[in-house]
Amino acid sequence: MPKLIVRTIDLSKVYRRGKVNVPALNNVNLQVSSSEIVGIMGPSGSGKTTLLNIIGGLDKPTRGKIFVDGVDITSLNEKDLADYRLKKVGFVFQFYNLIPILTALENVEIPLALMGAPKDERRERALNLLRMVGLENRADHKPDELSGGEQQRVAIARALANNPSIVLADEPTGDLDSKSAMAFMRIVRDLNRRNNQTFIIVTHDPLVVEQCTKIYTIRDGRVESA
Amino acid sequence: MFSWSLAVRNLKRRRLRTALTASGIVVGISMMFILLSLVSGMETQARSMARALGGADITVSNSTSFRDRMGGGGFFGALPSPSTLDASIAETISGIPGVYAVSPQFSFSGSINGRRVTVYGVEPASYEIVTGGLNIVEGRFLSENSDGEIVMGKAMMDFLNLTLGQTVNLSAGQEEEGRIFTVVGVFETGMIFQEYAGYVTLADAQNITGEHGLVTQILVKCEDPSTVSDVVSLISSTVPDVRVTTPTATIQQASQMLNTLTMFFATIGLVALFAGSFGVINTMIMSVTERTREIGVLKAIGAKNHNIMKIFLAESLLIGLIGGGVGVAVGSILAYVFPMLTSGLFAAGASPFGMRNPFSSAVNAGLGGRATSTIMFATPAITPLNITICFSLGALVGILAGLYPAWRASRMKPVEALRHA
Repeated sequence: MPKLIVRTIDLSKVYRRGKVNVPALNNVNLQVSSSEIVGIMGPSGSGKTTLLNIIGGLDKPTRGKIFVDGVDITSLNEKDLADYRLKKVGFVFQFYNLIPILTALENVEIPLALMGAPKDERRERALNLLRMVGLENRADHKPDELSGGEQQRVAIARALANNPSIVLADEPTGDLDSKSAMAFMRIVRDLNRRNNQTFIIVTHDPLVVEQCTKIYTIRDGRVESA
Repeated sequence: MFSWSLAVRNLKRRRLRTALTASGIVVGISMMFILLSLVSGMETQARSMARALGGADITVSNSTSFRDRMGGGGFFGALPSPSTLDASIAETISGIPGVYAVSPQFSFSGSINGRRVTVYGVEPASYEIVTGGLNIVEGRFLSENSDGEIVMGKAMMDFLNLTLGQTVNLSAGQEEEGRIFTVVGVFETGMIFQEYAGYVTLADAQNITGEHGLVTQILVKCEDPSTVSDVVSLISSTVPDVRVTTPTATIQQASQMLNTLTMFFATIGLVALFAGSFGVINTMIMSVTERTREIGVLKAIGAKNHNIMKIFLAESLLIGLIGGGVGVAVGSILAYVFPMLTSGLFAAGASPFGMRNPFSSAVNAGLGGRATSTIMFATPAITPLNITICFSLGALVGILAGLYPAWRASRMKPVEALRHA
């Protein structure tokens, strides 16, 4: 029986733009079980990224609560939130966001280094992760020497470095050709099956949607189940 | 963590910017370094001077320090010669209780083979009694019948390529007609600037300058060293309008002068460093702004504020270390080259700064004629302490200048940083 890993209760987020209040999320109640691949769709500006950022502890809701693995992350202070991001979540961004001056291997090592892992250990783990995404022979290449698809695979290896319970991806295939997008989703599915890792993916891409086990659509800050 | 390798690679990625930023610190540090080295050099010289003192217990001179008999205008003009006293004062002083011996001396800024040099006219016998005499390394000192003879410093001999027994042309000024003197002796003091000098008889000195019956200093030896201060007050009260100095007073004066110089130089160096630090702040703020997105990513994957702070502090510290290291290196080269540049100048009788160093004249007065009036700026001393101070100062400036930009980076909100294009 899969357990509940993310639960939001009446989650709302309002941005202030000058003197105007812009609602981004409106009483969102969402439940995600472990080992799901959840797709979040919706028109741009609908609040998808805001929701993802709040689940990932990058942003705070204006109202409501969010439990991840039983912990109310809205009650965490800045330092504990950083710790939460380091240990519980992995991020994959649309534009990969690798550190340009570090090699693929070093990029994957960052979260391990932040955890304080000894050099040998993190090197070995990072190499294993690169092997898992099929890039062990590109370990010493810098991001600008890799294709978009390869960079995104490095990014997912980095997201998985500390073995997080959830991986959050914001339009991960948005900048990839369909072949690379498919390769990326194959990796997601493998990991999900093999490690029971939960994925929450914000996407427009039908290729991604196909592979998701559950789809939510956000419209005007409200979540609708597809 | 990755702080160091990130810092090193980021600095390497922008080599020109790194070099330009560090050069701001290089200027400040090398300036600081050469100034500190100069002060150290002066300290060393002051210490050896203090050791060299002790010949004459008391020096009596005119209360107005210099007369400009060389008419030396212009930037590298002649050093002024000391003001004169009537020679008869020497007799008055020798009659004062507690005085063991007196030796009148006439020093002036003269010219040997066209080279400006300090010349001392002395009475050989009394000079040796009062001061203990020069350290003669070749030939002999002057005697009572030494008309037309000169004893010269080793450094001056080398500079003019002279050997014992050769003749030189000595005049009171470069334009004036000189007289031929034979070099009969060479002395060494261990301090090069003291060796740019020549000793002739008092009569010869007075003849050359035309100042008959006048002297510039009267060197006094007391019967008992413990009575020096009593003798000083007796001389002051007996002879009007004279300056009476002792080695102790001179050293005190010298160290006061050193303190003032140190403060002055330190201020100049610090101002330069301060200016350089703004370059570092500017570069670091630029670097933080350029890498806003990177900061967002690092925070998203779990970096805490102090991790971010460390990355940028490491970078500014490295700039400071580069600046400090290169600054010390440049400063050392300058300190090494400095004496070579100035030796030519001070042989010509001018200080490198185109002004007379009051410090050396203060010491000079107390030296009982053994010093020359050459400047003391000439020999900077490179000490491990100065290297450490300047290197650490570079590092400190790097850290301090990096604090604000690093703090700003660490406080960025991850969501906003990630949105940054």
